[in-house]
Amino acid sequence: MAIGDLRGLFAEQSLTFLAEIPYIYHCHHYNLFHDQTIDDALGEDEGARVRTTAAHNSFRDLLSAVFEKAGASTPVERIALASELFSWMGQGKLALDVSAAGGRARSPSLHYGYAWREKYGSRVKRVEPADAVAAGFAGAATELAFGLPSEAIAVTERKCVAARDPECEFELTPTTGHPPLPPVDEMTVRRYVVPAVGGVDEARIVAISQGLLEFMRAVQGDERGLVAAFNVFVTAHLPGYYNETVYETVHRAERTAPSSVPAIEALMQQAGQACVFFTFGNVLLSPEWDGMVGAPTGDPSDVVSFCAAIARGLGFGHWLVNEYAPRKRLVLQCTSNYEVPFYRSRYGVAKKPRSYFIQGAAQAMMVLAEVVKWKERPQLTNDYYVDLFRAKPRYRVEQTKCLMRGDTISEYVVEAM
Amino acid sequence: MDRYLEQAVVEVPQLIGIFVTAMPDSLLFSSWVRDGTEWSAEDVASYFGDLVRSNRQGLKALGSWSSEMQVTIESAESLVVLREISADFVCGCVFERNAPLGMVRLHLKRLLERVAQALPKVQAEDRPRGTRIMEFLDRYAPDPHAVTLRVSLRSGIPVDDLKSPASLSADQIKRLEETACKILGVHQLSL
Repeated sequence: MAIGDLRGLFAEQSLTFLAEIPYIYHCHHYNLFHDQTIDDALGEDEGARVRTTAAHNSFRDLLSAVFEKAGASTPVERIALASELFSWMGQGKLALDVSAAGGRARSPSLHYGYAWREKYGSRVKRVEPADAVAAGFAGAATELAFGLPSEAIAVTERKCVAARDPECEFELTPTTGHPPLPPVDEMTVRRYVVPAVGGVDEARIVAISQGLLEFMRAVQGDERGLVAAFNVFVTAHLPGYYNETVYETVHRAERTAPSSVPAIEALMQQAGQACVFFTFGNVLLSPEWDGMVGAPTGDPSDVVSFCAAIARGLGFGHWLVNEYAPRKRLVLQCTSNYEVPFYRSRYGVAKKPRSYFIQGAAQAMMVLAEVVKWKERPQLTNDYYVDLFRAKPRYRVEQTKCLMRGDTISEYVVEAM
Repeated sequence: MDRYLEQAVVEVPQLIGIFVTAMPDSLLFSSWVRDGTEWSAEDVASYFGDLVRSNRQGLKALGSWSSEMQVTIESAESLVVLREISADFVCGCVFERNAPLGMVRLHLKRLLERVAQALPKVQAEDRPRGTRIMEFLDRYAPDPHAVTLRVSLRSGIPVDDLKSPASLSADQIKRLEETACKILGVHQLSL
């Protein structure tokens, strides 16, 4: 069975699944900033531990489901399939040399380490490894291949491309396992969406998002296990990873250092801004987009609609434009997104709006619509990004409704300052 | 100054780039890089400032430092020469690796004389260390748009305090400096 055949789509809500486990697409700019924020909040050691645990948990859910669907039952089959899946996702090509007693794993091209070195390597000397996602994956794959309980294998990255080593190397050792948490699967997700409703320019957004979903079906890792597309490194990734890392970090800060919470939330919003600028922006400028939708018109309302369509095409959920007044106000709503099911099933009802990613994304949509001169086809470089978002803020965002809080919809209001 | 550099380098063959760094902060003062070069002067200037600082300290420890100090690095791809022009400025020149060393020295002498004539006399300004650290981060940290929030999270210094870095306490400056080193991946700041 080909991995692509395991894909599923909850079309009405623009949510995507692999063996009934949610997956989405994010670029390296978002991924690196996200991980950096976790480490900023918790410190390198604890940040790496939280990230590795989250990767382990989310990949354990995915691999369990994939092995079952594919009928992979022996250790050899499972290790081979796990490696193939990881590479297919654009996470990198990881060679696993493991047994029930642990072992080693190595790779010259893991998404995080490789992309970190590409983006930051000339500016910053890094000593800590960057590949907690691969570490968590390696542990989960080994446990499931040999029928071990959850977290029976501890993984430590000993060498990392981001730290200028030629390859990433991991050491896997036995440890004490414990029962896994219940997975957040498609059945869980369906419990935490509300009926999809249409917004401004709905018909066009639906048509474009369907085309993009179809286009993304062909996206998979190259010979390095990486996906270089739209001028970024793209990963098929697990919402469970993003959600567990963000909310474990925020909840811990709320308990132990509440004064730091606004900074964490603001940085998580900035991660959303980076996603929209780099991924959405480069999709808008791609030849594939030109072929599917046409050349950029420069009309801000087009950009807002296109961004909603791209979000749906990447599996982010049913984003809709409720209201848009050029240069003044954007009201973005969601009847589903990839954060709500995890939060509600793991933590219950939130006390306050917590969709940090979409808060930042909504703000960036307004900036992209109003400030970027699309007809000139600008290069969406890091310098341009920094210039745009370091300048005096043009727009503020407030999440006025949140499905995590039990509201009937999630709503994000962006207004000119 | 950048325009003057363009004129100064016209007759210097095999020169890839030149960058003038203001000391003691190792901030790039001016630069020229040949078209088609993959690196930028901004990316490399601070590192060579660190190198000059270390070299200066090492030579002083040996009792053999002089203001005529020059560092020559022969790497696989290029020939790098660092020279203190004055107490306030260091000039770094990057040549093609196959440039004859004798010719490099000859051209370098003329080039540095031209550059030195164009440099201003600097009156060192004794600005608060907190301000200098934040400016350094703003210039060299990755994701500079987010650096204040990142520093706040890592150091525990409130964002509002970081917006007035001249007023930071001694303890806050110590934490700020440690955090800046961590973010930049260096053991100490070139300030």
